[in-house]
Amino acid sequence: MKVTIKSWTGVATWRWVANDDTCGICRLAFDGCCPDCKLPGDDCPLVWGQCSHCFHIHCIMKWLNSQPVHHQCPMCRQEWKFKE
Amino acid sequence: MAQNVNPHSASEPSSSIKCNDDRQKLSKDNHAVTKRLQRELVDLMMGAEKAVSAFPEGENFFKWIGTINGPIGTVYEGLTYKLSLEFPNSYPYSAPVVRFTTSCFHPNVDTAGNICLDILREKWSALYDVRTILLSIQSLLGEPNINSPLNPMASQMWANQVQYKKHLHETYYKENGKDK
Amino acid sequence: MANTENQHNFDNLWSDVCHLFPILSHEKHEYLAQESPHDDLTTMQAIVSAGQEELVEQLVLTEVESQLRNNIVPVFWQRFSVLDGRTQSLDPFKDAVDCLYESLASIVPILQSLVLLRQTAQTERQVCGQSSLLETFKVMVRASLHSQLPLNYQAITEDFYRISFKVFCNSENKDAEQNESTEDIFQCAGCGQEVELCQCQSIINAFHETNGKLQELDLLERLAGDVLTTLIHRRIESHVQETCKGSFDVPHIGSLEGWLDTVVMGWLSRIYSSGSFGFRESENKSTVSSVETLSKMKQTLRYFLYETYTRTRIDQLFNIIIEYPDSEPAVEDLRICLQKIDLRQHLTQKLQRALETRLLHPGVNTPDILTAYVAAIRALRTLDPSGVLLDTVTQPVRQYLRWRDDTVRCVVTSLTEEGPSDLAEELSRGEALQLDDLTPSEEDTKNWESWNPDPVDADPSKTSQSRRTSDIISMLVNVYGSKDLFVNEYRTLLADRLLSSLNYNTEKEIRYLELLKLRFGESQLHYCEVMLKDIYDSKRINTHLHSDTNFNLDNQEFAITAMILSAQFWPQFNKETLELPEFVQEHLDTYTKAFETLKGNRTLCWKPQLGSVNLDIELKDRKVNFTVSPIHATIIWHFQTKNQWTIEELSQIMHAPATLVRRKITYWLSQGLLHEIAPDTFELVEESGPRVKGHIPADIVCDDEETESAMASAQEQREEDLQVFWNYIVGMLTNLDSMSLERILQMLKMFALQGPTTIEVSLQELRHFLDRKVAEEKLLFYGGVYRLPKS
Repeated sequence: MKVTIKSWTGVATWRWVANDDTCGICRLAFDGCCPDCKLPGDDCPLVWGQCSHCFHIHCIMKWLNSQPVHHQCPMCRQEWKFKE
Repeated sequence: MAQNVNPHSASEPSSSIKCNDDRQKLSKDNHAVTKRLQRELVDLMMGAEKAVSAFPEGENFFKWIGTINGPIGTVYEGLTYKLSLEFPNSYPYSAPVVRFTTSCFHPNVDTAGNICLDILREKWSALYDVRTILLSIQSLLGEPNINSPLNPMASQMWANQVQYKKHLHETYYKENGKDK
Repeated sequence: MANTENQHNFDNLWSDVCHLFPILSHEKHEYLAQESPHDDLTTMQAIVSAGQEELVEQLVLTEVESQLRNNIVPVFWQRFSVLDGRTQSLDPFKDAVDCLYESLASIVPILQSLVLLRQTAQTERQVCGQSSLLETFKVMVRASLHSQLPLNYQAITEDFYRISFKVFCNSENKDAEQNESTEDIFQCAGCGQEVELCQCQSIINAFHETNGKLQELDLLERLAGDVLTTLIHRRIESHVQETCKGSFDVPHIGSLEGWLDTVVMGWLSRIYSSGSFGFRESENKSTVSSVETLSKMKQTLRYFLYETYTRTRIDQLFNIIIEYPDSEPAVEDLRICLQKIDLRQHLTQKLQRALETRLLHPGVNTPDILTAYVAAIRALRTLDPSGVLLDTVTQPVRQYLRWRDDTVRCVVTSLTEEGPSDLAEELSRGEALQLDDLTPSEEDTKNWESWNPDPVDADPSKTSQSRRTSDIISMLVNVYGSKDLFVNEYRTLLADRLLSSLNYNTEKEIRYLELLKLRFGESQLHYCEVMLKDIYDSKRINTHLHSDTNFNLDNQEFAITAMILSAQFWPQFNKETLELPEFVQEHLDTYTKAFETLKGNRTLCWKPQLGSVNLDIELKDRKVNFTVSPIHATIIWHFQTKNQWTIEELSQIMHAPATLVRRKITYWLSQGLLHEIAPDTFELVEESGPRVKGHIPADIVCDDEETESAMASAQEQREEDLQVFWNYIVGMLTNLDSMSLERILQMLKMFALQGPTTIEVSLQELRHFLDRKVAEEKLLFYGGVYRLPKS
């Protein structure tokens, strides 16, 4: 007998490659979206800092905007710089 | 870790400005804040943390009641304290207002229950939550900062732990009733 | 001397009196023979002048009464006791009445003399409460008759009226259908005789005569009243039964009222209006009284008719509901009747019982219960627009549906079903959902003039607005008290549909989602929206990856396409494991790499058991194409390397539970590719001969693929939910000390039962749960509040 697969439709879930499951700021899943968004993924991406910590982009932006003087990572208090 | 600061000296004027700001963003942000507090409640309820506990008071997600036990091995062991936590609409980008509702004799707690703790002020981070705040306050009980006291009497008495404990327990039961 | 003279005068007077009233003398012949020296008038004057008129009258009346008691009445009743059994004739009753009438008539002259005596004396007095002697006499007659009432008199009277009523009805019918051919009829429907010998007319004549006499004697009501009433009631009952038999699509109220007015009242008015003999004092008075009697009877009978009709319809209500809207005329009739007759309570009880015995048991499919429930909603809303009846009656249905596991699924299915379905129709009307727990806006103040209070049996905890306006879908959703569970189940169903069709065609689902959003609101269905967007995006990603050669997908052995899902928004997947063949896994990995390159920082987690595979199978003598699930594909794949496999071996190599493998392998057995050579050992069938095909047991073929769901059902998570509750309850009691049951539920609703994976809990369920915790000494209950025990 010989089995020849002609096509395969699979089912997969996508996820962010990050060292945590949830965003420390909004406490919602990275694979979901921040509280202000409706659609996950492209519309509510993650960003990484040079300190390697990551957040929903909308969450970290809000945090940085709420800090009048120093823009620090809320996790490690190092100065926040976006990872290239 | 957490350092205590005087709550009256820190960023008093800016908070009133923020108040107006809050009101404008209220409807939009309310939802996001509720979501985050909801998440925190789930984590607290489902988590294994037994040293501290907290639950919304009843009206909405913005006012909670917390309960901490005095840390074991300190003069506060065996005493239970209740606190109120009020969350602003800008939470978690700004800190909640946390007060003891149980009368607390402590160098960094004033008679109104205000707490002098840096993470509730300039050291606030959006990553802090109800659990970490309560744990910080719990550890503050056993490790006061005697250099910036809100209660000078407690601060002076701290050195003599036997006398301190005696006074602490006397005032605790006198002001909070025997059954606490 | 004077004494003797007085005595003599008195004797003379007595003899004159006896002459005047022969009844006083017990040897009446003697007196009758003698010629009286005085005429009656003189005698009367003598009596009056002697001041004895009252005494004389008393004496005479006493005699009359004893005559009645001892002769006339016993003779009358004797005629009844002689007979036993039913007769088909009017005669016994008629004869008895005739005889009675005659005997009484013989008394009349005596009474007339007494009247004259009174007139001579110019006195008036009352005897037996009556100022007229004739009335006094009638009272005596009635009293005597009643004092000797035999047991079986009713049978004869009944016969009499039954026969005549039958004749009467028949003659009415004849008038109505005169043109109808009567050739085939040998028997008169009225009297039961052969047509030529029909006695209907004579029966009617005799009937009228007898009634006339009774009416004159004022005995009709007393003697026959009960019988008449019973007879008419029975007749109304059977007529209503006849009319209502099985037809719900015609209104009957009008025709029934007509029947009562013409046939029944016609008969009655003939009974009451006939006869005018000597016992009437004034023609006018009697006519007025009989008209009054008739109109009173008509009212009573109408009421009885409505009641009978209503009860009949109530007994049929379950069937009426099932046939709604065809049965709308019957419902409308019932609505009108309920306004006249207070049978709401009866209706509620009867219908609830009917629902329970006919609908709410394990033998009825959930879709059938739902259909009946929908019909009940519609029918009862017509019956009682306030919705109270519906609310009360269908309470048990809702309760029952709540216990059925597949209710939500059935509702959701029929909501989004192709083809005609009540619910799909309702849904496309696109109204916003009305839920019990919503506080309705101010009741419409514009229509305050037409406002009506709710009926007394209304549940005061619900607003009348919510009852009056909520539509069918809302009612169904309210079975669960909230729309969350409902939406959840829809999500599971949608997930199943999307993952089983795997065709990226979401247009239809999007249309339904839009309709559902109108009902349930955007936020509730946000998750479903993301799910549909996932499917749409997957299609784009697949096209993109396959069209760009940089991703190296085009030189694969077979084409991989993927459904890429946002896990957070889909229902929980079953935690099934499956190890795909390495060859396949490599292909999937290549796809994953392509995806990672495209999306950056994102990767894929495959759900190996989900999806579909198209494959060719080449055997020695044939080549077959199949479209199967990944697990099927994996099973047959392994038979390439080895001809024989046991379930155990397959289970190991596939990392799948043996039971699952056993279940799935039957598919290949049914296709004739494998056969079971020993228990749990399977061998490839390289050459298909008739011997193998014949061996396939029929029941193996039906793989229950259809009913399987890749999702964990919303209902399955109940026990976990309760543990979640407990954590919250401990949390709130730790911080808020003590709380009542209601407060705990309120807090749970507010803080624990939020978000898309909402859990529902009722007060009873919670009490039960907390009581259990109290019993386990994990909770204290004192003074109406719960608290935690001191640790």
